[in-house]
Amino acid sequence: MRTRVIAATVALYAACGGATRQTPPVKLAGVRVVDLIPVSLSGETWQDAEPFLALYASNAQLMAASAFTPNPGGSASGTAPIFVSNDGGDSWTLRNTLPSEGMTADITHAVGATPPVLYSGILKVPGVPLNELKASDFFSPATMALQASRADVDQPFVRTAQAASADRVYVGLNDFDAPDGRTATVDVSLDGGATYKSRRIETRATLGQNGPSIRPAVAQDRTVYVAYFGWRATAGSTVTSDIGVVRDDSGAGGATPFRDLLDPSDHLPGRLVATHVTIPWSNAPTLGQERIGSTLSIAVNPLHSDTVYLAWADRVGTGDIYTVHLRRSGDRGATWTGDLRTVTNATNASLAVSANGTVGFLYQQVTGSDSSSRWVTRLEQSRDGFTTHQDAVLATVPANSPPLQFLPYIGDYNGLLTRGDRFLGVFSASNTPDSTNFPQGVVYHRRVDFATHRLLDGSGATVAVSIDPFFFSVPVLP
Amino acid sequence: MYTRSAMFLAVLLALPGAAALGQTSRATLVKQSDIIFIGTVTQVGAVAVPEVPASDRTVVVHVDQVLEKPAAVALGAGDSVTVQTAQPGSLKPGSQATFYTTGWIFGQGVAVREVGHEPGHSPVVVADQQAAVARARLEMNDADLKAHIQKAAMVVAGRVEQVRPAELAGGAPAHRTRISEHDPQWQEAIIQVQDGIKGAQAGEQVVVRFPTSLDVAWVGTPRFTVGQEGTFVLHKDSTTGSPETVIAGRSVPAYTALHKSDVLPKQDAPRIRALIRKP
Repeated sequence: MRTRVIAATVALYAACGGATRQTPPVKLAGVRVVDLIPVSLSGETWQDAEPFLALYASNAQLMAASAFTPNPGGSASGTAPIFVSNDGGDSWTLRNTLPSEGMTADITHAVGATPPVLYSGILKVPGVPLNELKASDFFSPATMALQASRADVDQPFVRTAQAASADRVYVGLNDFDAPDGRTATVDVSLDGGATYKSRRIETRATLGQNGPSIRPAVAQDRTVYVAYFGWRATAGSTVTSDIGVVRDDSGAGGATPFRDLLDPSDHLPGRLVATHVTIPWSNAPTLGQERIGSTLSIAVNPLHSDTVYLAWADRVGTGDIYTVHLRRSGDRGATWTGDLRTVTNATNASLAVSANGTVGFLYQQVTGSDSSSRWVTRLEQSRDGFTTHQDAVLATVPANSPPLQFLPYIGDYNGLLTRGDRFLGVFSASNTPDSTNFPQGVVYHRRVDFATHRLLDGSGATVAVSIDPFFFSVPVLP
Repeated sequence: MYTRSAMFLAVLLALPGAAALGQTSRATLVKQSDIIFIGTVTQVGAVAVPEVPASDRTVVVHVDQVLEKPAAVALGAGDSVTVQTAQPGSLKPGSQATFYTTGWIFGQGVAVREVGHEPGHSPVVVADQQAAVARARLEMNDADLKAHIQKAAMVVAGRVEQVRPAELAGGAPAHRTRISEHDPQWQEAIIQVQDGIKGAQAGEQVVVRFPTSLDVAWVGTPRFTVGQEGTFVLHKDSTTGSPETVIAGRSVPAYTALHKSDVLPKQDAPRIRALIRKP
């Protein structure tokens, strides 16, 4: 094993009184960035895009992660892998425990109350049916157990809550078989995945479907928020959409869940945070080789469910390709701020709120142009509604290398969570072992030669640059 | 079970006339394996990687020679591998064997699950085993291809004359208005049949549907371009929900070729024909 640790700096920005002032770069203590690919897969060259992360509040050591990483042995075994860590993310192993031929076509996951229970929602290969899965022990070599399955579903997004009697599982998904084109759905299980009920959250007319991203967020008092795209009209590859949020105040356990937040315009469930935004739906390389159209994230303060943050991306029309917006509500979604942050040519926004109220805002932005363009992955934090914020650049890598193998290039989403005094997350990026690409430093377990910026296989031969998943841990602002 | 088979194989190999059966058994092991190596057992009830708990089913094997492995896997002679054996007590320290395995855990080291092992006459002659495994892999590839062909509706050698948007019936699920990253974006290739190997005759035209999407759900799926020549293993379209299409005003069956072994080089046509005839 060859481990390389690079120390670098972090940029700290402060915006005071509406005027932005940039201070010299400052290194944040305690930041870790780790390439998930283990040394025993040093020859790996796949496009390990769209990473996701699950972790326990009660055990800082155990984590599960995923990406579009294939079973190294191919598809014959009918299984696909997840990454697991038992040392707090310092190192990762790959285990083939998902019932999908070689790889999944979508995957998210979340933990149960008791380690090491793990729930996952995947689109299974082949045929891409939804599989809702559970592992009693995600370190076990056993294939995860199938709890529910059906076809015609997109982007399952799993969140969980811990109830006294059983785990509650919320799987946001776009269900094309839902009636009346109101496809935004949350599969809700109140019994640890033993049974699921599909709850439709769209209450207005759509163009025939909702957008693919349906994102739940759960607070400790069992308040559940769900963000969704209310697609209203389409013209070519442009969709006119509302950005909606529904809320349930009792864990979505009632007969008519997600009806606790009404919009003042029509008194229907689903607060419209923004209306008639322009979504550029492009299932082709559009932003730094990435497709765009489904960026959406929501996070609730786990201890104070009145406070909720929302981020989405659209096209503003001022020469931008895709622009991320971040807003906040302090009254359970009833009213919302304007943009606290507006980030041009960015995607993969992910939000988390720590126990002390600090919000973490992870995103990936294309900077520069043409051959000099770069994917820059940043984690911003703020405790004052982004009047001031701290900015950590986790990676800055060429946007045009390596060439894409498929879409998504780096992912339709990434992952950000918080536990205790840390933000923990995953993102995908080019894996060239160049210290300037990782300003916070980086640890590789796969074989690399930083001096020559080369990846090496087990025999020492050069390996082509590819997209790898990276884990990070950043201290929460005190 | 496979260990028992391999031990039975070892006995059979010592008997006159057992080679053919031995080849078949070895081929079965090869088919189920993705990491094959010659190794020497150094410890039983032990592990070489921290991610796996030691048990009566785990042994540590010193790798003498890797015969097959995926390119991504860093494994070579001199490495120690943790093997979860198919049967406790089946391997003793110092014994050398050819191990047929599947990848289990990839971390600081490699842990594999034994499909079976082939005890060697120590020392194992590496060149002999390399050749034997290569023969077995070829045999299994042919067997898999033959089985694949038997399930196919049509096998033709030909040339792609035209590529066009797919003609899907209005009620087909793939035709319904649906905006998704996983949309296959179906197109149709019209193939001029030059050699009808199964289910078709030279001179016919057949229509093959294929996805053009770059989405991850369709990665590795064969694509077609005008002028492309090949030997095509075709299946009746049961994917789009629209089993027929139109060519020259006629309604005809639509086919798909979604597996990587559905599109083969044109020069493979004689081999395919021979495989079909082979009992």
